[in-house]
Amino acid sequence: MEYFVSLLVMIGLYVTLSSSFNLIIGYGGLISIAHPVFFALGAYTTGVLSVNTSLHPLVTIAAGGAVAALASFMLSLPSLRISGDYLLITSIGFQLGVIEIIKNLDFVGGASGLSGIPNIVETHRSLKFALALLLLAAAVVLFVRKLTRGPYGRAIRAMRDDELAFSALGRNAMNIKIAIFALGSGIAGVAGGLYAYYYQYLTPDQFEILQSAMILTMVVVGGMGSVFGPTVGAVLLIALPEAITFLNLPAEVMGPLRGIIFTALVIVFLFLRPQGLVAPRVAGEAQ
Amino acid sequence: MNTVLSIEKLNKRFGGVVVADNIDLQLGAGEVVGLIGPNGAGKTTLFNLISGVVPADAGRISLAGKRLDTLPVYRRARHGVARTWQHMRLFQSMSVLDNLLVAGSQYPGESFWRLIVAASAVKAAETHNRDKAHAILSRMGLAALANANVADITFGQQKLIGLARALMSDSPLLLLDEPMAGVEGSAYDTMRKIVAEEAATGRAICVVEHNVSFIRALCTSAIFMVRGRIVERGGVEALLESRALAELYFGK
Repeated sequence: MEYFVSLLVMIGLYVTLSSSFNLIIGYGGLISIAHPVFFALGAYTTGVLSVNTSLHPLVTIAAGGAVAALASFMLSLPSLRISGDYLLITSIGFQLGVIEIIKNLDFVGGASGLSGIPNIVETHRSLKFALALLLLAAAVVLFVRKLTRGPYGRAIRAMRDDELAFSALGRNAMNIKIAIFALGSGIAGVAGGLYAYYYQYLTPDQFEILQSAMILTMVVVGGMGSVFGPTVGAVLLIALPEAITFLNLPAEVMGPLRGIIFTALVIVFLFLRPQGLVAPRVAGEAQ
Repeated sequence: MNTVLSIEKLNKRFGGVVVADNIDLQLGAGEVVGLIGPNGAGKTTLFNLISGVVPADAGRISLAGKRLDTLPVYRRARHGVARTWQHMRLFQSMSVLDNLLVAGSQYPGESFWRLIVAASAVKAAETHNRDKAHAILSRMGLAALANANVADITFGQQKLIGLARALMSDSPLLLLDEPMAGVEGSAYDTMRKIVAEEAATGRAICVVEHNVSFIRALCTSAIFMVRGRIVERGGVEALLESRALAELYFGK
């Protein structure tokens, strides 16, 4: 039971992360790999505040989201001004650089990690965290759905189709990109806040660049630019590796097997179904 | 006549190639000016310079007294520069109606902030834009296509939608880049009718076009460009009969 509930925690967490990342990369067309950094900034902000102050958890989690959203400007303002590819390059630097800084900052625990985050739930701990994260995930998916329909969604779509034609109609593409980036990053920060309270211990290597590959795979397999795609991708990519543990294979086979399945999945999808399991809707929907 | 567009000493070169050579140009309300000249004369580049797609090296561009040349593309559009593109540049994944809606002169829904704090203004603008888009489509006889995907309609219809999109903003200046190229049949007649109607509303229209009968029928004057330079400006007939132009199009 405990095992099943911990899976639900992971699913809630990764649906939130992949859906918010989908907003950035799938809808905004902004190629960034720094999503784990905003997740980390949220987690560390909440962690540090909870260790050093007696602020209410809701306040510290909100602060985590706010710091992540604000930090996104540091990446988006200079690099989006130039053009798309520069964002990818600067995001790699940002991902590696911020994690390196965290490793070397004493007040966030440095490389050995931040411990002593208070336990805010006494009974049925995992179940309550699973519930909170699943609720957050559902709220994020519904938010993305609402945002990407109606006038804002139409503008996002038009911008992605042809940014120059979009600008020549008097629309401010830069504003939209920066807003989408901040929203997606802020959501990752909120997820980080919950994550901090759940694990009560943070280390920099929980937010390494491999996390980025994981989240990106969920988005690609599920369906980039579709509302429910990342949910399907996240559930699948968390459930599948867990499912094969029931085969009772020896540990030396299990490790590589997971890696092979993971990689094979990405390759198969890129060749056979690049739009992902849940294809984005095509014409005339943003009304 | 009210001057809508005023260009003074506009210069632009790409490397060693001069694409705008000291261009002076005035465009008045209600004027329809045909921009003619050989390929590479800098006609489309002039549109790109006016709309801000390409920054000028030197010179001044103003619209109804407001200086444009230091502004980014979207702000020039907001000040009243509407344009079409030779290759339409429609939003390919969207419906005909959505292509028009996104082009409204007021579109508060593009700001995430205003979606929250000014929801009623967003809604009002949506309604206004929707009515306007339907009205333009009806004028073009394309009302039935409102919900079709732009990728699924004919080339001539796509050209018309490109024009319709530019009409959504009521801009005082309209730049049309080869509106008739590849357009035939009923779309051709519609295009002529709409451009004539728009000119009658008092917009200043500048049109790059190779179709001589279109220029004869609609333009109040014409400009002849060669190698980034305005060689001649005058009445349509006089210009079409000028020796320089005849040599260029038909040889010596």
